[in-house]
Amino acid sequence: MAANVFVVNTLVMTVPMALAAIGGMFSERSGVMNIALEGKMLMGACTLALVGAATGNPWIALGAAMVVATIMSLIHAVLTQIYKLDHVVSGMAINALALGSAKFLSDKFLDASKQIAFLPMEVFVGLGLLIPFLTAAWLRWTRGGLRLMATGSDPEKCRQIGLEPVKVRYESLIVTGVLCGIAGSAIVTNAGQFGEYVTAGKGFMALAALILGGWRPLPTLLACLGFGVTQALQLQLQGSHLMGASLPSEAWNATPYLVTLLALIVLGAKNRAPAGLGKP
Amino acid sequence: MNWRLSVLVVAVVALLGVAIMSTQVPPATVFKTLFEGSLGSASRISDSLKEITPLLIAGIAVFVALQAGLFNIGAEGQLILGALSGVLVAQRIPGAAGWVLGSLAGMVVGGLWALPAALIKVYRNGHEVISTIMLNNIALLLGSAMVNGPFKGKLSGAPTTDPLDKGSMIPALMIGNLRISLAIFVGLALAIGIAIWIRKSVRGFELRAVGANLRAAEFAGVEAKRVMIRAMVASGALAGLAGSFQSLGYEGRFYPDFSPGYGFDALGVALLAGTNPWGILPAAAVFGILNKGSSALTIEGVPKGITGILLGLLIIVFAAVRYRESKASGS
Repeated sequence: MAANVFVVNTLVMTVPMALAAIGGMFSERSGVMNIALEGKMLMGACTLALVGAATGNPWIALGAAMVVATIMSLIHAVLTQIYKLDHVVSGMAINALALGSAKFLSDKFLDASKQIAFLPMEVFVGLGLLIPFLTAAWLRWTRGGLRLMATGSDPEKCRQIGLEPVKVRYESLIVTGVLCGIAGSAIVTNAGQFGEYVTAGKGFMALAALILGGWRPLPTLLACLGFGVTQALQLQLQGSHLMGASLPSEAWNATPYLVTLLALIVLGAKNRAPAGLGKP
Repeated sequence: MNWRLSVLVVAVVALLGVAIMSTQVPPATVFKTLFEGSLGSASRISDSLKEITPLLIAGIAVFVALQAGLFNIGAEGQLILGALSGVLVAQRIPGAAGWVLGSLAGMVVGGLWALPAALIKVYRNGHEVISTIMLNNIALLLGSAMVNGPFKGKLSGAPTTDPLDKGSMIPALMIGNLRISLAIFVGLALAIGIAIWIRKSVRGFELRAVGANLRAAEFAGVEAKRVMIRAMVASGALAGLAGSFQSLGYEGRFYPDFSPGYGFDALGVALLAGTNPWGILPAAAVFGILNKGSSALTIEGVPKGITGILLGLLIIVFAAVRYRESKASGS
């Protein structure tokens, strides 16, 4: 029984991270550094709750969450590609905007007395496990995937052979938005309610997983699973004594960040990061 | 102003307009409440100063790193651990020595917390934004673990340290109900000092040279690696100071969520200031006043999130304008 709960918890924790991380992969592989996954997820989560409560239809809610997160992502695309904002600056601005908007909208329009209509969590688990594999296959075996990788590696050469990096980036950021929308929806579905704290840094963990996974879909999924395991372990072992001492829950939560930091130190990042990250 | 910027500004104003309209509170009331809530009385001004102080000092911190071409997203984490260590030191040392040494401890811890990011950047080529995001989250959890565990106060059930003695807190000037902490004066002095240092000193010039063009600076004989490490550590130390000043000058104790995101807002402050160090103070004032004023807005029925929206949009507009300017001047 306990093992069952553990597996379920792991999957539930892993899936939103995996979806957001794959979203981040699309963005970063196209050359747009993305520290705004958290904000996009939050907007997706907020929209799911608002529309889910207002319409009572979970599919409409999921669709709306994907659309709103995609709008955020397109704003990101416009800011970086047309207004040439620095990717870090625009990412921070998107996060601030998303946090403010989510607070504003949920304060003003979320009717706490109304039930939010949810899809079963299995839908999200299925998507979260399937999409990384589909992405891996797409990257490896299709023209679009190769174009994406080429854009991220050397946008200038792409221009010379007639590929438009900017167009690829718009398309990629749409995918990022859609995936972050699903990720945010998964989080709210699991939590059963919305608050602006609901994403709880999952977007940054997704970013960490992306880096640990070397910007490749399947290793990234694996990193997310690793993070999911630590979080499920935390839920499982909370308060219990491990080897004589009880570990504070913070130690479990900090593990993904510590591992990523260590990986940055041991492996270095630049040699594995898309070479065109942040280039015009 | 070209048409693209005009479109951006129109879009931003429209978005804000829609947000305010949706609350059905007249815009005039919104602005009036915002100003009265932050500057309407002596005690409100005191509260605004409490918000401005950490934004000013952490804003300087982020600014210094930014001048060397480094994004110190980690200011929040450095600030939190600076606040914690400041309180822990001041609790153990009575009198004025308490806050003096506490502030120093905050600087040391903040600087040390930034060091890994600097080393990863310089020697491992890892982006400082990624490492500081990781360090932020670790710092937040560490702070919370410390006050839930070994340093939990005895007087309260909540995760917080015990309050400090009045004597070991940073003194404040009282004019009627207006409380002006010494901390804000130090912040002002730092802002002026840094502004002069960065424009007039050799070290300041080296810093800007590295930030403007790393390769060129190295060819010119600047030891870029050392400059970057120094800039990041100095930035961390300043952010740590901002945190310890907040706990020693205003809060009088440490609890994990004392910062509503000063470190992140500080990035906004530095971005608003751009390359002009004299811009940090007005930018910090704007952010601080908005922070404070938003509480009053909540009572009027405008959700607090409106200031987050406003700040995000401000950053976007300023960054876009900056880019145009830098392009126009040919750099």
